[in-house]
Amino acid sequence: MEFLAFLVVDGLLVGAIYALVALAFVVVYKASGMINFAVGEWMMLGSRMVAAGVHGLGVGLGGGLVFACVGMVAVAMAFTRVVLRQLFSQSLLTLIMVTIGLGIFMRGSAALVFAGLPGGIARPLPLEPLTVLGVPVSAEKLVAAAIAGACIVALSWFFRGSRTGLALRAIANDQQVAMSVGIDLDRHFAITWGLVGVLSVLAGTLWSFVTGGGFGVELLGLKVFPIVIVGGLDSFPGTIVGAFAIGILESLTAGYVDPVVGGGFSHVASYVVLIATLFVRPYGLFGRTEIEPR
Amino acid sequence: MPDSSALLEVQDLHVSYGRIRAVQGVSIAVPDAAVVALIGANGAGKSTLLRAISGLIRPRRGVIRFLGEDLVGLPVHQVVRRRVVHVPEGRGMLARMSVLENLRLGGFAHGGRTDLAPELDRVWALFPVLRDRRGQLAGSLSGGEQQMLAIARAMMARPRLLMLDEPSLGLAPLLVREIFRIIPRLTAAGTAVLLVEQNARMALQCAAHAYVLQTGRVVLSGRATDLLAAPEVQRAYLGAG
Repeated sequence: MEFLAFLVVDGLLVGAIYALVALAFVVVYKASGMINFAVGEWMMLGSRMVAAGVHGLGVGLGGGLVFACVGMVAVAMAFTRVVLRQLFSQSLLTLIMVTIGLGIFMRGSAALVFAGLPGGIARPLPLEPLTVLGVPVSAEKLVAAAIAGACIVALSWFFRGSRTGLALRAIANDQQVAMSVGIDLDRHFAITWGLVGVLSVLAGTLWSFVTGGGFGVELLGLKVFPIVIVGGLDSFPGTIVGAFAIGILESLTAGYVDPVVGGGFSHVASYVVLIATLFVRPYGLFGRTEIEPR
Repeated sequence: MPDSSALLEVQDLHVSYGRIRAVQGVSIAVPDAAVVALIGANGAGKSTLLRAISGLIRPRRGVIRFLGEDLVGLPVHQVVRRRVVHVPEGRGMLARMSVLENLRLGGFAHGGRTDLAPELDRVWALFPVLRDRRGQLAGSLSGGEQQMLAIARAMMARPRLLMLDEPSLGLAPLLVREIFRIIPRLTAAGTAVLLVEQNARMALQCAAHAYVLQTGRVVLSGRATDLLAAPEVQRAYLGAG
């Protein structure tokens, strides 16, 4: 029983970070219909930039975060101006293919640019494991999940309460109408990708804290697809619920199934659920049932 | 009628979709704070003309002069910022947002100003029903209420020129009359209205001037009362004789 509780709590904490990653994916999908196949690479680049700030420039964790946010927003601006704007009238499929190309480019250039720099980000202070109501809880995961939760709350406030958030929701609702009330689409697409850049820095860093190293952060991108398919591609609440569900699922299968089958099934389980969801509710738990041509 | 004192002056405008010439050398003028109607059959180029003025499509050639400035080539959001607002056919609701959010977005062109109270008061006065429904999702409104919201949202931008494309489309006769009762009141606040309508009689009754379009060209123009009485208009568009 205590083992079960431990697994569920651990899954929830990891799920909070997943939610942040998945939101970075969903904001782009909602605004432009683009599927960003390079989410993992964005996360990787974000965390590598923080690491470069810490180890290369010696500006500490705070400085590294600022450096990485500025750097990733610059990457986002370059991407929207140099690549997306040139492809303005191309089909959505072309734009989606471009994200795959960008992902490969990011992996390759990160290996060159950050050669010799360690990718890990040390936690600001080492934490002792906690025990809450008899259940052992990883302190670093708890802190990371709390930060991720705060970011999600801030993000939802931004979308609900701010003028830019209102404009972004209007674009997600109907691009033509958004344009006709005077919203500059190019500018707001740039803002969306800038947001992805900042979320990448935050989620990439938190993931590095939890996993202890900057190794394989891009694999985080693979978690996104089960989450958004289960939650529904265009729903923020669905995405968050989906992230927690996938987090718990992975944790439970890692605890109960992996020892039996010899390991690795926890990484497959979420994709089994993805396929099952596509059969039963292809629009996800919270997605809209209509499939609109875009 | 074109004269230099007009708010909007379109000169020799040509618009094509690929090889189809939708608008071929149209010239019209809209005076300040007046209602001008564009009538004509389906495919005459009326909606295309509005889309060209609002920047949604780029004309092949011609001039669109608004307050002395050529609007050709400006992106849509820049045209809206000059307070030229287009209510497209089919109303264009942001269906998953509330009535109030739709209206706030209508005021987006005012820049950073977030207090839209004066605009909202004006809109509530014109469309009291929207005030009662402000918390509802726009998609849950009836067809007539959606058309009112579309016009109200455009009025939030305090337009100098409001372009309405088929506001009566798909509405019950009672609601059509309601919409046409409101249109002349919009000009009281200094808004000129360029009205595209298939319901020619209603349009001519509320407009000061009108143009008749046929296969992309202006075939007739003049005072609306004169056009109402013109035999060729009566025969072709008013269902008489």
